[in-house]
Amino acid sequence: MIFITVNTVSELLCLLAAIVFLNKEKTTAWRLFIPFLLLTCIVEVAGIYIREFVHTSNYALYNVYVLFECGFTSYFFFYLYKAYHYKPIWLFTWLGLFAVMYIIDLLHHNFGQFVSTTASVMSVVFVLASLYFYYLKLKDEHFEPLIFSAPFWWVSGTLFFYFGSTACNNFLDYLSEYERITFSRSIRYIIYNILDIVMYIFWSYAFICRYRQRKSSPSLG
Amino acid sequence: MQISSKEVISLIGLTSIIFLIAPLFLILYVLSYNRRKKKHQEETVMMQQNFENELLKTQMEVQEQTLKTVAYDLHDNIGQLLSLTTITLSSININDNQNTAEKIALVEALTLRSIKEVKALSRLLHGEEIVSRGLKAAIEFELEWLKRLDRFKVNFEHNNVFFTGDNAKETILFRLFQEIINNIIQHAKATEILIRLEVIEDNFRLTIRDNGVGFDVDEILKRKAGMGLHNIVKRSIMINGSASIISIPLNGATITINVPYK
Repeated sequence: MIFITVNTVSELLCLLAAIVFLNKEKTTAWRLFIPFLLLTCIVEVAGIYIREFVHTSNYALYNVYVLFECGFTSYFFFYLYKAYHYKPIWLFTWLGLFAVMYIIDLLHHNFGQFVSTTASVMSVVFVLASLYFYYLKLKDEHFEPLIFSAPFWWVSGTLFFYFGSTACNNFLDYLSEYERITFSRSIRYIIYNILDIVMYIFWSYAFICRYRQRKSSPSLG
Repeated sequence: MQISSKEVISLIGLTSIIFLIAPLFLILYVLSYNRRKKKHQEETVMMQQNFENELLKTQMEVQEQTLKTVAYDLHDNIGQLLSLTTITLSSININDNQNTAEKIALVEALTLRSIKEVKALSRLLHGEEIVSRGLKAAIEFELEWLKRLDRFKVNFEHNNVFFTGDNAKETILFRLFQEIINNIIQHAKATEILIRLEVIEDNFRLTIRDNGVGFDVDEILKRKAGMGLHNIVKRSIMINGSASIISIPLNGATITINVPYK
């Protein structure tokens, strides 16, 4: 029962939505959601297991996971920007910067803590990427019904999560200290639960939109 | 002042709520802007359709005007020439050699004039081709026919007006010119018409002035009879231009149309 939390359930439901709606997808960027969400679920369960049964901190696991999170999210943003003729150099520049920051962060804490600074910077970059996507959509003279636009809802979910978690990220060190004993009732836990629910609802809806889009235009796969 | 842990936690909670509300409003804004974009796009399509309809109507009117001129010319000009030819031929007395020779020469001259008139008519029948040669050429061609009426002293002034290649715009402008000239012929009782076609900065300026009886512009625009004037104003606006109508009763009228050619 300890493994059934708001986070694990919302992640699992989103994974199921991805399997149902994206299993016949031809576009790699969309297909990658299935392994990425599967990895997220595994990491979440493993995190709980380490925390509850091994009685040790699970930051190392999340330090590895953040690499996949950044890699996949950045790649997906790049996939969205590609339609506006953005070159891969932007993606590689950002990933290079992230790698440098990540290593410095790890070395700074002697591999003994979660890379919170890197995660905060990553959140800010993803928030900016989401806002820039909105800007491109507003600027685009071609009309697209956004209510049924899969990229729009994916970006909205991502914006909610990374923007909403900014306050928590900034006070992470303080909160970690304060919440050491009562994590399950902490403000950070509640906020992350809300953010997870919102993001995974938006993402699941994005998968449905993508499925509808694919059905109406078979060329998409 | 020391801030308690509870206060900090509340502050973080509050900040997070604000950080959650902000994207919500942002999403609502993007969606509402997108709806406006859709509406704007629909309006643009509708305007384009209206423009195309109006252009089609204009082209038909130009053709109609051409056919009217053809009918008039067939009846009053070529018809008369042919009647005169017939009368001359029927009056020939083959016993009177000298008279016959004179009459045959007259018939030949009449026939040649008729052929010339028919050729000119045939050129006029290609009304759309006239516009495709440029506005100046089209106006000059139309004025040739107006001069034949011998009712008006016509002056056409222009300053090296070039052909823009925007056929739709020039067709509409040419139709406006035809409409104004028609109004002068039918209602103005004028004896002189001045037409000036100029390029001023990035605009075509077409000025048509007559010395006729004039009219009360506001009165005419209010009445349904002012449909012609309404059309002139409406069509000028449609090609991103403007029309100014100035007239004083008994003192002629001046209509100026400004249209950007870019």
